[in-house]
Amino acid sequence: MSEKYYEDWQERTNKEIEKRPERKTSFSTSSSIPINRLYVPDDMGEQYLSEIGFPGEYPYTRGIRRTMYRGRFWTMRQYAGFGSAKETNERFKYLLEQGQTGLSVAFDLPTQIGYDSDDPMALGEVGKVGVAIDTLQDMEILFDGISLAEVSTSMTINAPAAVLLAMYIAVAEKQGVAKEKINGTIQNDILKEYIARGTYIFPPKPSMRLITDIFEYCTEKTPKFNTISISGYHIREAGSTAVQELAFTLANAIAYVDAALEAGLDVDEFAPRLAFFFNGHNQFFEEVAKFRAARRMWAKIMKEKYGAKKEKSMQLRFHTQVAGSTLTAQQPDNNIVRVAIQALAAVLGGTQSLHTNSRDEALALPTEDSARIALRTQQIIANETGVADTIDPLGGSYYIEALTDELENKANEYMEEIASRGGAVSAVEQQYMQREIQRAAYETQKKLEKEEEIVVGVNRYQLDDEPQPELLRVDDRLVEDQLQRLQNIRETRDNEQVQISLQKLKEVAKGKENLMPSIIEAVKAYASIGEICHALRDVFGEYE
Amino acid sequence: MKIRVLMAKPGLDGHDRGALVISQALRDAGMEVIYTGLRQSPKQIVRAAIQEDVDAIGLSSLSGAHNVLFPEVLRLLKESDAEDILVFGGGVIPIEDAVKLEKEGIKKIFTPGTSTKAIAAYIEQAVLEEKGNESPLLEKPSGIDHIGIAVRSIEEALSFYLNHLHLEVEKIVEVPDQKVKVAFLPLGNCKLELLEPLSSESPIAKFIEKKGEGLHHLAVSITSIDARLRQLQREGIQLIDAQPKIGAGGYPIAFLHPKNANGVLVELCEPGTEGTEQ
Repeated sequence: MSEKYYEDWQERTNKEIEKRPERKTSFSTSSSIPINRLYVPDDMGEQYLSEIGFPGEYPYTRGIRRTMYRGRFWTMRQYAGFGSAKETNERFKYLLEQGQTGLSVAFDLPTQIGYDSDDPMALGEVGKVGVAIDTLQDMEILFDGISLAEVSTSMTINAPAAVLLAMYIAVAEKQGVAKEKINGTIQNDILKEYIARGTYIFPPKPSMRLITDIFEYCTEKTPKFNTISISGYHIREAGSTAVQELAFTLANAIAYVDAALEAGLDVDEFAPRLAFFFNGHNQFFEEVAKFRAARRMWAKIMKEKYGAKKEKSMQLRFHTQVAGSTLTAQQPDNNIVRVAIQALAAVLGGTQSLHTNSRDEALALPTEDSARIALRTQQIIANETGVADTIDPLGGSYYIEALTDELENKANEYMEEIASRGGAVSAVEQQYMQREIQRAAYETQKKLEKEEEIVVGVNRYQLDDEPQPELLRVDDRLVEDQLQRLQNIRETRDNEQVQISLQKLKEVAKGKENLMPSIIEAVKAYASIGEICHALRDVFGEYE
Repeated sequence: MKIRVLMAKPGLDGHDRGALVISQALRDAGMEVIYTGLRQSPKQIVRAAIQEDVDAIGLSSLSGAHNVLFPEVLRLLKESDAEDILVFGGGVIPIEDAVKLEKEGIKKIFTPGTSTKAIAAYIEQAVLEEKGNESPLLEKPSGIDHIGIAVRSIEEALSFYLNHLHLEVEKIVEVPDQKVKVAFLPLGNCKLELLEPLSSESPIAKFIEKKGEGLHHLAVSITSIDARLRQLQREGIQLIDAQPKIGAGGYPIAFLHPKNANGVLVELCEPGTEGTEQ
């Protein structure tokens, strides 16, 4: 392009701006990347083949599949779970009937932190943010009438991921489904729990061992199961910028790969089962660019740093959930619009699966109506807009490509800093990421209060009389039922067998042998999640 | 003496973005804040509050466990003769629960979207009240800040004030939020505000439609607008704005309902705090 034309245009434009100023004196993204008035061909890097390339081919900037959504749409996977296993089972069946294509289980906090429903620590929390699972019996009820051979299930479970995976395998066996056939994902990403989400149990070292034990076991026994979902989602929800989300997630991923290599695994054996989980946030183009940058960065890391050979090892597959923290309690129907736009960014960024939030999540757990609208939002994007009919439609946009490059550069700077601190595990222990996120969160809040950032209905366009929507309440009687069922199991199971299996688990935990087989054994004896995690706490200690 | 606050996460949820942001904001507002970290039982929280000799406890819960855990904190404070420690809450708390918890003795539940400044001001005021220090802060209104007059067209209305009364226009500004254009005319110690609607949805348009042009409101100058609004609310005065907003003059204002004052719409203004609130 002729530079002179561009310079002339800029000059004429600057004159005009003197008379009619723009809305702001400068524009920037969530990650403080300056946004130019206009992007032109010169803003794009010149190496199309090496930096952008073709879908399904290295470095996968444009997507990991050759046909992307022309082949099939992303998996529509709504996170659900509340109260008891029976109620959640009903919600699952409802969502499957409505055309949802994968399940995603939300567990309550006691389950996520390895406490039984009758533990004093569980007071007030049973069945609140997800389903309560104490023993294999609850898991059997959760998947009653749903064939594990046909459905893929994502489980948001981290510290006790091995226990829930063991239960899932045991349910499959009872249904007569071979382990090799089960398909799904466990989140199993402990580093981001220390950084942002808070459901850790054990200290980092034994936690990393549990993770690599799962990698090893699954590579052999459940080859279709994703062994980890390395998550930027919660890092972003805790207040990070897009660049931090990208950098911290990939830094954590590197730590998991290093741990697996150290445990003697082969990179091309386990890397194809690593999955990622990102946030779909508000800044539309920055989000699209973030997903594209993530794919390119991961491909380079796997190829150049780890010498991976298999294509699947280099392909970053990811789930997206739109940003819960952007939902407002004020005028909650506006959230439907926010969710639609965030979801569109995820689709244009090439996500493999997607959860769209419900409009009422800033107020309570979603009602059935709200959950249906959220699913319909994805179905409209898929079926009515045509955005899925060509691959990476924003690829080649001067702005998108420039932003993709810039996000990659900025994220690399963070990753170098983390590497210089001894990697993600050390950086977590030094509270480095935690502090960076906290700083960004506070900055965002201050911008809102100074109205440098506008949230419709919150700091502008407020309503004086907010109507109160119908909210879902978790029935407190469910807690009684859950406690009763746990009591019954404790009385009717073979308690001697339970004690033997827990004792054995402790022995294995003290040594180096893979933990999975003895966890599966304990689960099948109907040992509860609390009992299993307490046995491990005795050996591993707890993270403070 | 600095106000001391214990910020606590009862229960098991790990979402502490809110708790951390509020901690930082209260520190910036000059308070001392101790953050407990995650997963604190009510017993641990109350023990820490007493040991640290705090004036207030802030509880944050996003998991839905608030109905069980918040009252438990109150019960344990009472049991330990430490009821003078005020308890605030926030998180994902449905409005009916907030009302119920406030009845049970939680001083205030802050809902999502509340500004950190408003929270800091509220806590400060409540702690001072608890210590019996409230009254000196609420000074008498110092005068009339302005008188608002609703007109169909500022241009047409100005002729009388400029040509016959010989007043001058200080400035004319548009307030898009209120869909109104305002002309300021200084008059001795106070001002006249001519208010012209910018659209038919403007409150001024509705006023003119109902009552015709003429006197619209009376604005009194006060100090400590947040505290004053809380005092009025406590005393059962109906407010139009429960939280102050920035008025056309660039400082915090709030309207009271006309039915409090024989049909007169009263506005509170806090000049001298230009644009810093909210």
